[in-house]
Amino acid sequence: MKVRDIMTKDLTSCEKDVSVRELIFILDSAGIPNIPIVDEEEKVIGYISEKDLIKAALPGYFEMLHTASFIPDLNQISKKLAQIADDPVEKYMQHDAIVVTEDDDDLQAADLIIRKGTKSLPVVDSEGRLVGKVKRIDLLHHLL
Amino acid sequence: MIITVTLNPAIDKMYWVDRLKMGRVTQEEFLTRAIRSDTAAGGKGINISVFLARLGVENIAMGFVGGHTGHVVVRDLRDEGVTTNFVWVNGETRTNVTVLEQGREYIPVLIDEEGSPVSQEEIARFLRRYKRMLHRATWVVLAGSLPPGVDADIYRVLAEMATEAGVKVVVSARGNALTRALRAAPYLVKPDTREHLSMEGSPLTTRSKIIAVGRKIVETGVGILIISHEVTGDIAITKDGIWEIKSPVKTTQFKNLVGADDVLLGGILYMLDKGENIEEALRFGVAAGIRSAECDEKICRDPDKITTEMENISIERL
Repeated sequence: MKVRDIMTKDLTSCEKDVSVRELIFILDSAGIPNIPIVDEEEKVIGYISEKDLIKAALPGYFEMLHTASFIPDLNQISKKLAQIADDPVEKYMQHDAIVVTEDDDDLQAADLIIRKGTKSLPVVDSEGRLVGKVKRIDLLHHLL
Repeated sequence: MIITVTLNPAIDKMYWVDRLKMGRVTQEEFLTRAIRSDTAAGGKGINISVFLARLGVENIAMGFVGGHTGHVVVRDLRDEGVTTNFVWVNGETRTNVTVLEQGREYIPVLIDEEGSPVSQEEIARFLRRYKRMLHRATWVVLAGSLPPGVDADIYRVLAEMATEAGVKVVVSARGNALTRALRAAPYLVKPDTREHLSMEGSPLTTRSKIIAVGRKIVETGVGILIISHEVTGDIAITKDGIWEIKSPVKTTQFKNLVGADDVLLGGILYMLDKGENIEEALRFGVAAGIRSAECDEKICRDPDKITTEMENISIERL
């Protein structure tokens, strides 16, 4: 089976100069955990997830501890989020977006999703333009 | 690639009832039970997208969606095989209700919501995304009503952007949005004449009036103008000729008129996109619209039945 047979044909994306505030609105309204960043020709140039935003809003040493139990309350995160709310997402996005093409095998997509621990991957055409996404749930649905 | 734009999408909620009790009813009669019901993503551009997808044509649906009903619209379109690219907005996507009374399905009761307001920021976000999508489009369909907050000039702006990008434009609208869109000289125009037949302020009461006004519009650069003047009759005007298209089907045979007009336009677009001539496109489009109106389902699924229906369509060059 090819990626094109199982992918979700949705082109929800945003540009690199979109603010963090706007990005949070898009992720929340569309009910998606991550989003591809595209250029003016709809080519995928990056990727950003809720995880990247949380990382941006937490103190640097958080990643080492892998816990939030040392944080007394959420005010710290709230303050930091307010500080970065108008920043462009370019500042926090992953510039090396992992993508699959429509013609890739489903196994290749599953391997990447498992190895990278992501919930979905952007799918691009032969010119690198966004044509959809393949989600973990798409794979599970397809495998059942 | 065909892109459809529905700025004011809807959930079409349809109820079939034995008898619709309206007006002064007794306390015991105030409840009308539905025999069955159906829910589908709706709005003129969306209906065209669904119809094209059912014919196996890849297309992208764009517009604004919001809230719980917005998710239902997007989900329904994906299930139909339409690629979605909507801008999410703060409000809730509207719900339009149709009640079809047994034996009188050809006169449905329609209750359409106005839609949630769209902000200037949301419009700007849409325009940016639309501009990007024009790179991969061959046709753009601008169809349906506008939500509150969106200027009547929007279709003109979108049509001009598409024409500049070398993309052919189809417009199906009414009122000011249509009048202003005409200034951009779209390739194909079908006025939405569901409420009353008028264009540019003139009521179109006779065939000769339709032709006179239509000719004037085509002279301004519109490629093809299609006007439905009866439920089963249409007039098409281009700079090369005028055609009258008719079907012998009686209106009383119609089971569900919701979306039939959009299927008609979708059918014409489908054939033009395949490179067919205007007469064949008109024949297929009208047959598709009629076939759709004859089905219980909002948009007919069976292309073979459209082909059969084509044999009943007469086209006369005037």
